[in-house]
Amino acid sequence: MRVVIAEDNVLLRDGVRLLLADHDIAVVAAVDNADELLAAVATHRPDAAIVDVRMPPTHTDEGLRAAIRIRSEYPETAVLVFSQWVETEYARQLLAEHPTGVGYLLKDRIVRTRDFLDALRRVTEGGTALDPEVVRQLMAVRPRDEGLARLSAREREILDLLAEGRSNIAIAERLHLAARSVEKHVTAIFTKLDLPQARTDHRRVLAVLRYLHARSE
Amino acid sequence: MIRRLLLAPVERRTWREVRYVLVGLCFALPVFPLAVVGVVGAVYSLMTIGLPFLVVALLLLRRTVVWFRPPARWFLDLDWPSPPPRPTSGGALRFVESVLRDGTAWRALAYAVVKLPLMFAATYLGVGAALLGVLAVTYPAWWFLVPLDRTWGGTWLFVLEGVGILLVFPWVLRLLVGLDRILIRALLAPTPDRLRIAALEASQAALRADAAAILRRVERNLHDGTQARLVTLGVTLSRIEARADDTVRPLVEDAQESVVDALTELRDIVRGLHPPALDDGLPVAIETLAGRGAVPVDVHVDLAGRPPDVIASALYFTVAELLTNVSKHAGATRARVDLRAENGSLRLVVTDDGRGGARLATSVDGTEPGTGLAGLRRRAAALDGEFSIDSPVGGPTTVTMTLPQEV
Repeated sequence: MRVVIAEDNVLLRDGVRLLLADHDIAVVAAVDNADELLAAVATHRPDAAIVDVRMPPTHTDEGLRAAIRIRSEYPETAVLVFSQWVETEYARQLLAEHPTGVGYLLKDRIVRTRDFLDALRRVTEGGTALDPEVVRQLMAVRPRDEGLARLSAREREILDLLAEGRSNIAIAERLHLAARSVEKHVTAIFTKLDLPQARTDHRRVLAVLRYLHARSE
Repeated sequence: MIRRLLLAPVERRTWREVRYVLVGLCFALPVFPLAVVGVVGAVYSLMTIGLPFLVVALLLLRRTVVWFRPPARWFLDLDWPSPPPRPTSGGALRFVESVLRDGTAWRALAYAVVKLPLMFAATYLGVGAALLGVLAVTYPAWWFLVPLDRTWGGTWLFVLEGVGILLVFPWVLRLLVGLDRILIRALLAPTPDRLRIAALEASQAALRADAAAILRRVERNLHDGTQARLVTLGVTLSRIEARADDTVRPLVEDAQESVVDALTELRDIVRGLHPPALDDGLPVAIETLAGRGAVPVDVHVDLAGRPPDVIASALYFTVAELLTNVSKHAGATRARVDLRAENGSLRLVVTDDGRGGARLATSVDGTEPGTGLAGLRRRAAALDGEFSIDSPVGGPTTVTMTLPQEV
């Protein structure tokens, strides 16, 4: 896997680069601002870009905007965005236009290397990775969506994990359930949300989007 | 004394006052129509048609405080501060109200009304008299130039009169200009109270802005500095873990747990500085809080408008604290948060079905459970609100906080 890192903190940038190198992930470029990030992506066409939301010059959402551009201009490059704090609006923006191959995580998660690498792998495979904290904040809001209101407690719990971008098997492990019963719950969720019988992966994303929209309306 | 009386007509001050009166008259002329519009507008504002005129006149008259300043500076060495800005806050109605309640403008209107007559009187009695006096004193000389129907000796009578006038006019002038000084002090210069209030308001605004800036800087430093360092430390630990043998690995894992805990605490601290959740309004923020705890919480929020920030953040932190108590101490299976507007105040009720026995702590060391409740009561009292607990042993617990809707 080839990745580009955009992070303005030198220590952290080097740390992540070495960490990825330890796991045989090639860091083809490590930059400290959004413009260089876009240039590096254009040059190297990496599998993924790891992007800090807050970078110079204004230290607000440069990284997020660059990530959205990368997803629309270089579909083969996935983006994993790291934020200093939970901003559900950022997650919504990120997923709104290109709901695949994107991840939005708290910076803290880099520390848990396995989760971090897992999220990176998921987004490069076209999946999503949403921070559990983001999901929790989204779920905390009473659903205004009728379909969401119909979900049972267990189904909401499963949708939580689904929204983070986890696979059925991962969900089963987490909740100590049989893979079969997770599958059944997921199907029930899709039915209650009236999601079309198309490709499963696509429906998973749609389910997450329903949450995001319910939150933003 | 006599010397002063005699020298008054040639004193520098007298002639500066003459110039002041003449220039002041020029400055007063354009303002007077405005004053008339203001007065007429005020009378007719009872029938609303006058109101727009009154508002415009008052808006312009407020500026005359500055307009009248140059002549006073030049000739009287008199100066006064510019008026503090009129308090403005949205809405056409609020705007009109603020203009009509603007004391500065009304006082300026009063000044504009009397200024022109006063300057006329001063011109006539002071400056005019000076001219007449000069003319009269030089009367014998005029006798040779202009044919007059009296004897040359008779003209000396006028000289006497002229001297009299010249001796008196400086004092008349001084009296009228003195009157103007008094009017300026009373009507144009801001009152000491007003100045004091303006100074306090300015310093308070500066303090608030300062505090907000400091909070933002602290938040930024924590995120860009401390958080980044901790994450870097965690990353390094991960790399050590991958290389470590079985004796070291548990230690590294412990260290990593500490890093994760520190990061979580850091996030909570930053959230405590300014809960970002409050940006989306109190209902959303409370729902977010309710979703965070271990105990399922029913939330009912019924608010008419958006409470002021101070109230909103007090309510937010109170709910946060109470729900934390519910998760930590109550042993409850359900909780309920109810927030509604009621007769001009906001009433927050948090109930749980736990074991009860919560009380306002009396311990000094602050370690006993319940100290937080005393803090909440203090917070409520600081905002002119009330706080009460009903928690019999065995439960259930009901905590009620009432805060004013406005600060």
